[in-house]
Amino acid sequence: MRELTHRPDVKMPSLLAGVRGPKEFLVFMLAGAAYAVELARIREIVSPPLLTDVPRAAREILGVCSVRGLLVTVIDLRRRLRLVAAEATRTSRILLTETQSGEAIGLFVDEVKYVIRLESSEIEVAQAVLGGDLSDHITGIGRAENQVIVILDLMSMTT
Amino acid sequence: MADPTDKVREEFFSEAQELVENLSRGLLALDELQSSGTDDPAAVNETFRAVHTLKGLAGIFGAKSMGTISHRLEDVLDCLRLGRLPLTRDLLDVLFQAVEVYWQILAHEKDRSQKEPPGIETILQRLQAFGSSDAPVALTDEFEFEISLLSVLTEYEEHRLRSCVEQGLNLFRVRVAFELATIDKDLEEIKNKAKPLGEVITYLPTGESSSLDSLELDLLLASNFAIADLAGTLGGPNVAISAVPRRHVAAKPSPRDEPFEASMVHETSHPGVASLPVQAHEASMAPAAVMRSVSQSVRVDIRKLDALMNAVGELSIVKGVLGRIGERIRSEGNRQLGAELQRLQRTFDRRLSELQSGILEVRMVPLSQVFDRLTRVVRQIGRDVGKEIQLVITGGDTEIDKLIVEELSDPLMHIVRNAIDHGIESADKRRGLGKPEAGTIALNAFQKGNHVVLEVEDDGGGVNEQSLIDRAVTLSQISLDEARGLTRQEVLNLVFLPGLSTRDRAGDYSGRGVGMDVVKTNISKLGGVIDLQSERHIGTKITVTLPVTLAIVSALLIRIAGRTFAMPLTSVSEALSFEDSMAQPIDGRETMTLRGATLPLCRLDRFFQFDVTKPSRRRFVVVANMGVRRLGLVVDDLLGQQDIVIKALGRSLKSVTGFSGATELGDQRVALVLDVSAIIEEVLAGSESREAREVREVRHA
Amino acid sequence: MRVLVVEDSEATRAFVRAVLESLPGDEDMEVVEASGGFEALRLLPRGPYDLVISDINMPDINGLELLNFIRKSPLHQKTQVLLMSTQAAAKDRDRGMALGANAYLTKPFSPEGLRDALRSLTLGTA
Repeated sequence: MRELTHRPDVKMPSLLAGVRGPKEFLVFMLAGAAYAVELARIREIVSPPLLTDVPRAAREILGVCSVRGLLVTVIDLRRRLRLVAAEATRTSRILLTETQSGEAIGLFVDEVKYVIRLESSEIEVAQAVLGGDLSDHITGIGRAENQVIVILDLMSMTT
Repeated sequence: MADPTDKVREEFFSEAQELVENLSRGLLALDELQSSGTDDPAAVNETFRAVHTLKGLAGIFGAKSMGTISHRLEDVLDCLRLGRLPLTRDLLDVLFQAVEVYWQILAHEKDRSQKEPPGIETILQRLQAFGSSDAPVALTDEFEFEISLLSVLTEYEEHRLRSCVEQGLNLFRVRVAFELATIDKDLEEIKNKAKPLGEVITYLPTGESSSLDSLELDLLLASNFAIADLAGTLGGPNVAISAVPRRHVAAKPSPRDEPFEASMVHETSHPGVASLPVQAHEASMAPAAVMRSVSQSVRVDIRKLDALMNAVGELSIVKGVLGRIGERIRSEGNRQLGAELQRLQRTFDRRLSELQSGILEVRMVPLSQVFDRLTRVVRQIGRDVGKEIQLVITGGDTEIDKLIVEELSDPLMHIVRNAIDHGIESADKRRGLGKPEAGTIALNAFQKGNHVVLEVEDDGGGVNEQSLIDRAVTLSQISLDEARGLTRQEVLNLVFLPGLSTRDRAGDYSGRGVGMDVVKTNISKLGGVIDLQSERHIGTKITVTLPVTLAIVSALLIRIAGRTFAMPLTSVSEALSFEDSMAQPIDGRETMTLRGATLPLCRLDRFFQFDVTKPSRRRFVVVANMGVRRLGLVVDDLLGQQDIVIKALGRSLKSVTGFSGATELGDQRVALVLDVSAIIEEVLAGSESREAREVREVRHA
Repeated sequence: MRVLVVEDSEATRAFVRAVLESLPGDEDMEVVEASGGFEALRLLPRGPYDLVISDINMPDINGLELLNFIRKSPLHQKTQVLLMSTQAAAKDRDRGMALGANAYLTKPFSPEGLRDALRSLTLGTA
């Protein structure tokens, strides 16, 4: 996995020929259901290290931790998506990503499953899967291995 | 604007900002030249180049309006540098206005606001109005060149050449052989030596070099000095100077490429020298070098510095461990080995401190960065509101952490705007009061221990205390009773309440109704404090005190409810043991007596609403202070002192008050760093209700 | 293919690099950047470069002088040179062509513009 501490070379993909073709998604479990985010946006997957609780922070913020010297704010995705809260388990993982402002965010998930490839045509639009104001967080619905996978928009979730 | 990735956007903003800043500085330099009536083609050219680069940058990133403005601006500046347009006050005004529009465009793009800032059409029209007059550029063929020489000059360089020739300067070819390994340094040296001697039109690579590691260049120098003088200053083992002969030296076949050693060169080939008009020559030779064309500095991404600081922080931890191992070895009997290890650890410590200071130094930038921008803003605002303002700046070379400087420019600008808008009176009123018509704003900065103090003082009308009180009461910030009981300083501090100092004038040129409350919050976030002093009719002085660096501080580690926190030592005056019996409630607030004075207390476990299952018997109170305010913080245990690297908390945690960051304590444990001033603020402003709250949340740790 | 990009704007260099590296079919593309004429002169002896893309209007050593140097250098006999200039600098452009530039591009240009210009140069490998 690429290291979070190294800056990728400056590339301007959007000015050049648009990136078409299938995108890769990382599928993970949250409260028994399958969700996914764009693999390209995930820098690293780590086992949850010691988390330091931040008093007075929003409830969905589990705390902060250090990954090789980098300060990461860990968000409980269950709480963010208003799912049933639960304890961490052996399979819990933190997905490391970076926000637009350069902040390192970790998404706490129950279990990481696999990576799938989906063409944009294979992603169905489905507004009503999550509650009203949370619908901004969904890009759409995908299917793989007979499972319905809710694809989340990382950018909107980490802003 | 096209939608590039974020990193790319940052590159664009970073470079665009730097270019506009350079442009702004260049314009200030031109302003001075215009007022003093001197000429500096280099400065004009620099300005042209900055706009040229901006135009290219805007074109690539699809910043349309920026591109269009840059295009017109470039045309105008091109005419200026080619001598087709005179440098007038009007032209300068338009140029300054263009810079202001640039900043607005950048701010809008940064905020991703869809609408365009106002003023673009206006500036385009104004630039258009400066059409170029077709002044004939006389062609002189007074010198003998190879045709090929002229063919490699750009139009601009050719213009400079003609200009120099018209002024009657002589031309010389200074051939220098450079070693590639040291070329940067040697080049700077030659440039500096050549500057007072005349104008270097261009540098021509000769294409002949003795080896792969050397390079030969011809400097084409226009100068009024005699070749002997040039040789005296520029001469050296790798330097050969020859004069480019004038065409009307008919008789002798002048030795063109012979080096100076052939002594017959100078007098005979320049019979025209004697009749040179010295005054004109001096005017163009005056080293009006107000801008450096070659920057010696490197643009560094501050994240790289943070990464370096991390590494140093981790090394600090290693150093600590080394020390402990040394002690253990000694205590286990192996004194010699232990002593050796400890000696090593001490050396390590010294080098580490050097490294640390070195990196900290790199993060430090002079405040003049912010002050320069203010100069331009003051000029603009003054003209907009019709007040003449004189800005006096001292202490611009005081240095502060780059991250702080970035966040400082907005608050400072608001303070200055306030001073101009509300502080400085109109010219008429000032005259009536016997004050000079031009208002003065003095900006001063200096270092005081671990802090940097910034003062903004104006000689305006001072704060109208009565209207402040009235406004505060109207906005229900205080009651009439409270208003009566306020001390003078407390009245002045009302200005920091929300809503008190927003401009409510319709003609807000910046469109932002930001008040001093926002300024205060921003300063607090940087770990600083802001104070205001004022005397009616005399003036107002705002003092901002900031920590020198956010990066590494000495901290006190404390334990509260089983968790470890860090407190920067700068805000700690002392720590003592504490027992509950020492606390006395006064007016519902817990206090204790310390050497005769009352010290308000705050039990941090309750403050953060921790679940206190087993309160420890012996505790400690840490006396924290911020300015004149003191607060005793009750903690469970003191864990010692440590140098820590404070890392900023992410944006998603910015709304959490009470913490100024986090630090790693070794073995990857993270401890939060307390924001002492925010805690003091909150407690003393009467948030004791928190302590009395019943509801507490149980969170999993 | 070895390319030297000479341009004082860092972002413009990065942009040209991105376009070069996006060209199909050239896995061995090596792009070297120089922030000005002097740096280019320093890098040229380490060549040869198959292509030099340079801004014309640079301080001290301008693109024309650089082109001249390249043309006179035995190491760079087969080097193609693409000059970049502004719309208004017609004279500079003419001089460039007269000195033997292979193509020129007017700034600001799009990725398509740069790609077209590159395609129009006959790029044979050394």
